[in-house]
Amino acid sequence: MSPEKIFTGRARAKRTRASVKLMDVVSRLLITIGGLGTLITVSTVFLFLLWVAAPLLSRARIENPHSYNVSGATGVPIIHMGLDEYRLMEWLLFADGRLQVRRMDDGEVLEEERLFPGREIKAFAAAGGYDEVIVGFDDGTVALGRIGFSTEFVDQTQASPELKVLGPGSRLRIGNGIAERISADQFRIRRLAHSFAEPIEAESPAAIRLIAYSITPLGKSYAALSEDGRLYAYNLSERKNILTGDVVLRRVRGEITDILQKDRGLPQFMVLSGLGDSLLVAWADGYAVRLNIRDLRNPVVEERLRMLDDSGLRLTVVQNLLGGTTILAGDSAGTVRAWFPVLTEYGVGQTAQRRLIAAHRFERPGAAVTALANSTRMRMFVAGYEDGGILLYHVTSHKLLGEVEMPGAASGAPVLKVALAPKDDMIFGLSSSLAAGWSLDPRYPEATLSSLFLPVWYEGARKPEHVWQSSSGTDDFEPKLGLMPLIFGTIKATVFSLLFGVPIALLGAVFTSEFMSPRSKARIKPIVEMMASLPSVVLGFLAALVFAPVAAKMLPAVLSVFVTVPLAFLFGSYLWQLIPHRVSLRIQRWRFPAMFAAIPFGLLAASGVGPWMEQYCFSGDIMRWLDGQVGGARGGWLILFFPLSILLVAWLMGFTEPWIRRISIGWSRSKCAVMDLVRFIASLAIAALLAFGAAVVATALGFDPRGGIFGTYVQRNALVVGFVMGFAVIPIIYTIAEDALSAVPEHLRSASLAAGATPWQTATRIIIPTAMSGLFSAIMIGLGRAVGETMIVLMAAGNTPVMEWNLFNGFRTLSANIAVELPEAVRNSTHYRTLFLAALTLFAMTFVLNTAAEMVRLRFRRKAVEL
Amino acid sequence: MKGGDPETISAAKNTSAGVRTRKRATTSLFAQGEPMIWLTGGGLVIALVMISGLISLIFAQGIVTLWPQPIVRYRTHDGRALMGEVTREESYRPQEADYARLAPADEERERKKKAARDGWARRRLLRTGNFELTGEHFNWISDLEVSDSDLPEWAVIVERLSWGRFYGIPKAFLIDGEQTASGAEAVWSEFQRYFDGVVERRKKQRHMETVTVGELNLRLEHARLNIRRAEIVHGSGSAEHKQAEAEYEVLEKKASGEFARIQHEVKALRDKNEGYQILFEVADGRETKLSLAEIVRAYPANRLSFPRKIAVYGSRWIEFLTAEPREANSEGGVFPAIFGTVVMTVLMSLAVVPFGVMAALYLREYAKAGPVVSAVRIAINNLAGVPSIVFGVFGLGFFCYMVGASIDQLLFAEKLPNPTYGKGGILWASFTLALMTLPVVIVATEEALSAVPNSMREGSYACGASKWQTIRRIILPRALPGIMTGMILAMARGAGEVAPLMLVGAVKLAPELPIDRIFPYIHPERSFMHLGFHIYDLGFQSQNSEAAKPMVFTTTLLLITIVALLNVFAVRLRTRLRRKFVSSVF
Repeated sequence: MSPEKIFTGRARAKRTRASVKLMDVVSRLLITIGGLGTLITVSTVFLFLLWVAAPLLSRARIENPHSYNVSGATGVPIIHMGLDEYRLMEWLLFADGRLQVRRMDDGEVLEEERLFPGREIKAFAAAGGYDEVIVGFDDGTVALGRIGFSTEFVDQTQASPELKVLGPGSRLRIGNGIAERISADQFRIRRLAHSFAEPIEAESPAAIRLIAYSITPLGKSYAALSEDGRLYAYNLSERKNILTGDVVLRRVRGEITDILQKDRGLPQFMVLSGLGDSLLVAWADGYAVRLNIRDLRNPVVEERLRMLDDSGLRLTVVQNLLGGTTILAGDSAGTVRAWFPVLTEYGVGQTAQRRLIAAHRFERPGAAVTALANSTRMRMFVAGYEDGGILLYHVTSHKLLGEVEMPGAASGAPVLKVALAPKDDMIFGLSSSLAAGWSLDPRYPEATLSSLFLPVWYEGARKPEHVWQSSSGTDDFEPKLGLMPLIFGTIKATVFSLLFGVPIALLGAVFTSEFMSPRSKARIKPIVEMMASLPSVVLGFLAALVFAPVAAKMLPAVLSVFVTVPLAFLFGSYLWQLIPHRVSLRIQRWRFPAMFAAIPFGLLAASGVGPWMEQYCFSGDIMRWLDGQVGGARGGWLILFFPLSILLVAWLMGFTEPWIRRISIGWSRSKCAVMDLVRFIASLAIAALLAFGAAVVATALGFDPRGGIFGTYVQRNALVVGFVMGFAVIPIIYTIAEDALSAVPEHLRSASLAAGATPWQTATRIIIPTAMSGLFSAIMIGLGRAVGETMIVLMAAGNTPVMEWNLFNGFRTLSANIAVELPEAVRNSTHYRTLFLAALTLFAMTFVLNTAAEMVRLRFRRKAVEL
Repeated sequence: MKGGDPETISAAKNTSAGVRTRKRATTSLFAQGEPMIWLTGGGLVIALVMISGLISLIFAQGIVTLWPQPIVRYRTHDGRALMGEVTREESYRPQEADYARLAPADEERERKKKAARDGWARRRLLRTGNFELTGEHFNWISDLEVSDSDLPEWAVIVERLSWGRFYGIPKAFLIDGEQTASGAEAVWSEFQRYFDGVVERRKKQRHMETVTVGELNLRLEHARLNIRRAEIVHGSGSAEHKQAEAEYEVLEKKASGEFARIQHEVKALRDKNEGYQILFEVADGRETKLSLAEIVRAYPANRLSFPRKIAVYGSRWIEFLTAEPREANSEGGVFPAIFGTVVMTVLMSLAVVPFGVMAALYLREYAKAGPVVSAVRIAINNLAGVPSIVFGVFGLGFFCYMVGASIDQLLFAEKLPNPTYGKGGILWASFTLALMTLPVVIVATEEALSAVPNSMREGSYACGASKWQTIRRIILPRALPGIMTGMILAMARGAGEVAPLMLVGAVKLAPELPIDRIFPYIHPERSFMHLGFHIYDLGFQSQNSEAAKPMVFTTTLLLITIVALLNVFAVRLRTRLRRKFVSSVF
């Protein structure tokens, strides 16, 4: 038979067809690319989160410097400047009363006017965040007014020919204003607009030395100090007569005396708070007096303080921050301090007092601070220094956002004035010869690593705190983005749910793998595994709407369940032992079903013990007890110590084991059983006594569990979440632990049993130690699951970001916080990126846990192979 | 019980030396550790009891919810009358203030009763409905207040399109204001005569309002977008732009005529329906008219025979499964949510299976075993443990805001600044969940691939098959059941997951389904409703949460049924697969 002839009758191809080879190459390529691509994509999850969150730590973007000479300003000091919100122009007010408007890009003077002819400006103040200003003159009069910008819109059809050809982005001077195209058929023209009311006669003809001004919700407040040392505070309010419709201006005046000191001379600085109720008067040497002028007729000195720590230093600039509560003070050493009033701790019989505290310090040694300006949108300020440096800081986060120098000819020259544009999109600095501007993008000023993870000192707080509060109803609210309360909430949820879930899951796994027939095991295990696929939204809903009301209604009984049910099982076992050996061997397979009977007994006992416990330990009303309204600490300690002392006694009982074994040699089985029951009951009695003793001691020492693990009851709380989330992590821990126990080689089990060990001894001394690392990895994976669980905590935890261990209070976890806030967060805002950082934190936490679990499991597998 | 006896150690030594005595000691009960075994068994028992308790709670509540309840009328001591369905009953301890509120005579009597009942009393939550008259949906009625109760024979439950349920006794039937019947029985037969016609007309009206008007609006929107596109591409004022504008105007003129016609027809239908009215007497004796146009379902609850009850029950289930939600989701059906869940899950599996299988094939068949592959494997196992919400965050940032926004820039510039793909949608939701379930599929597929015995691969190679031929003809068919298991497990996880969906496109109420009759039929950019999110929304965002509670249980029952069925299917498949392999290993 020739080799060509084969039974199919077809000639056999000697080589592989090209199409097959091609398919092989193509499929290899496709699978490699697809497979690797998929794996890489998956790992980009982490990178993407990092990529979004990382810019949080970046500094502000300060670029495109431009400058021009300030000609004609020589000699006459500039009192104040203001920027236009569209960055088209700025105004400068000179000491001689000239008001000058310049184009911002090239410095061209658009308009110049002399205000207040015949008077000399001696003092000036602007109300923070408004265009409102006040001016004090040499003749003791003051004038209120506003200097700002007006807007006019011109349609394409009405525009002049030169305006019509104006392209988008470029500017054109139109008379004393500047035009800009804002859309295809509209232009915007901005002009300076200013108006001043008639000067108001002051109480003294002496020149005004210092003036402070503030727009309050009730009207306008100002304070003026004249050269003869007289200080008056005023309150102006407009009242409309309902009948006649006339507007009546009402002026209330109060004189402030006895704060001036002869040896110090007159003060140099004066600042009025945003609400107009507090006036700070400061001298250059750092001495300051703060007055409460809420009642103008009766001003009260609230405190006298020193704003510098070194007597050699001088205060150089003092002014308000946004909101008018925090005061910024710059000194000659280059330090800027932010002061705000804080309620002091007060003892019995004292009223609370406010004290200024220098909560934040911004140091830049080398040159004195010469100018300060605050943002009108956030708690950010810009500081100018004597050597020409300009620094941008955010107060609360302490973040140095950026640093620039006065350019060119002005480098090294002192910065006389600084300003921030109303939209925080430009920094402006002025030296004696040069004006310079930088475009600014503050990016994420509120966020630094320390402000996100460490305590932050918020305005008005006594000390730095961890706070998460991302939004609020009021406008001048400062978002507080500390992640710690959320991380704490995550940990709290995890701890309580594992305290409940881990023992049940591990015990169940041991029973399933060691004491169950393979047949029932095959039936039981999938049931528990099925529980893993129960959607967590279902568990969350049951927790919040079914379990939480039940727990609130019968709290003492619910608490007792955690003790009575395990005790019911133990009690059941002692009763089982009393059954004669011959019978119990026969009914061995009914043992597991018999265990179910313990549950109703446990529940029954709990419902009996609950009211009794409430009466005895909690003075009859557990809710009021938790609130701290009734009862002493002892009951709470008793509840807390009882389970612990049971564990302790059980552990101690282990030491009596050999002795009991020895004396029981030769006893009948029933005698042993009775003895065991007696021992159990005695142990319980000892445990109760022990708990009682410990509770008495703890109470005598003055400790109270309320405020720690116990506290005011909230319906959605850690107990509810712990129970239900424990329930959610049981299946995963159970499955993995059971797998690990079953993976212990059968020959070890057989050897142990053959050597005469009982199944229980085999389980505790051979199987569990061998499978220990597997059990550990099961717990770690359960931990990972609990950390990331969202729906249950979202629905059942109340979502209050508080940091306390109180079992009966709510909390807010990272995951629930993301689910609640991310849909509303503005894209790419600080809040949005912080939430991405929260997701990254969550990712990192689970990553560490899972990797640890995986490594332990691999080690376990290697060890198991060796066995 | 003295612990730490100094003789213990020596005694132990003695016993271990004396073999004969020790033999008897092994029968000692103390070595059996019976109590500890019971404790371990207790762990399992607790877990099992909790599972079965939970499942049976959901089943009981979910199944009972739609069953028609009788209408009970309560009269109180102070002369009020309330009528409605009892939602639940409970025991409570009345406070002093509750007694003080009663009339003196009643108070004395109730106080006596209180002593007899150990301070406890019962109260029930009555669904009284008639929100437009009373301003309340529910009322608590305590034993303290009740003087008597009865089941009025002709009390009728009316489920309406708005204002929640209505409870009343029919008095008269009116057609265009003319009374055609009076007395409950006559009214009821009139109602049955006309109601089918009313439903028919309402359907027609609804069809016109949504489908016909919707199509018109869509055409108009298209024309408007054409103008915008022409403006972007050719510039404002160009010939194309002008033409598009002209087209739009023609269409608009045509459409406005059409709109008027439809409105006229709809009005005619509605007027006809509203002409049929029933005059009801409510519990407190007031009379009010209810138009048949408003009624979804009505039945005299206390007259229903058992088969009629079953019919009502069945029709409610059908409504639940096939209708759209009404009344802020607390009434009506969950069809859009079921549909959204199914479409999302299918899209997800379409995305996850090919990539998961490819990755597993690469890892198992192509990649060379080494530290890299095992690192990748650890990473994948790790990824399975990453919280779902993190994937949601990724999906929102990457799919919606990055990929979606780029697609909008390129393809849907005319719709900007309204996002098309640059927001949550069913496509992004399924991609997000696909990413989340990828490890499940990879691990399952790998397991299935490794279960194919090497002898088969070698046999195939020995016959001269190429690698791809071996994979396609030998390995994949063998591994298919395993891959299917992975897919089904992924689907089960995906169907039950809610947290990431809250970020990437699940909404409270989606007016349009992701697949419909309007070109291009599949709309992957649309937001959708999801059963799991529906549960969250009903339970926590609903205004009338008490009325929504039964719906939550029914929806929960539906969701866990779907998830459980998928799981059971997967488990079955796995056992079948294992059995097959056991027999085929040689």
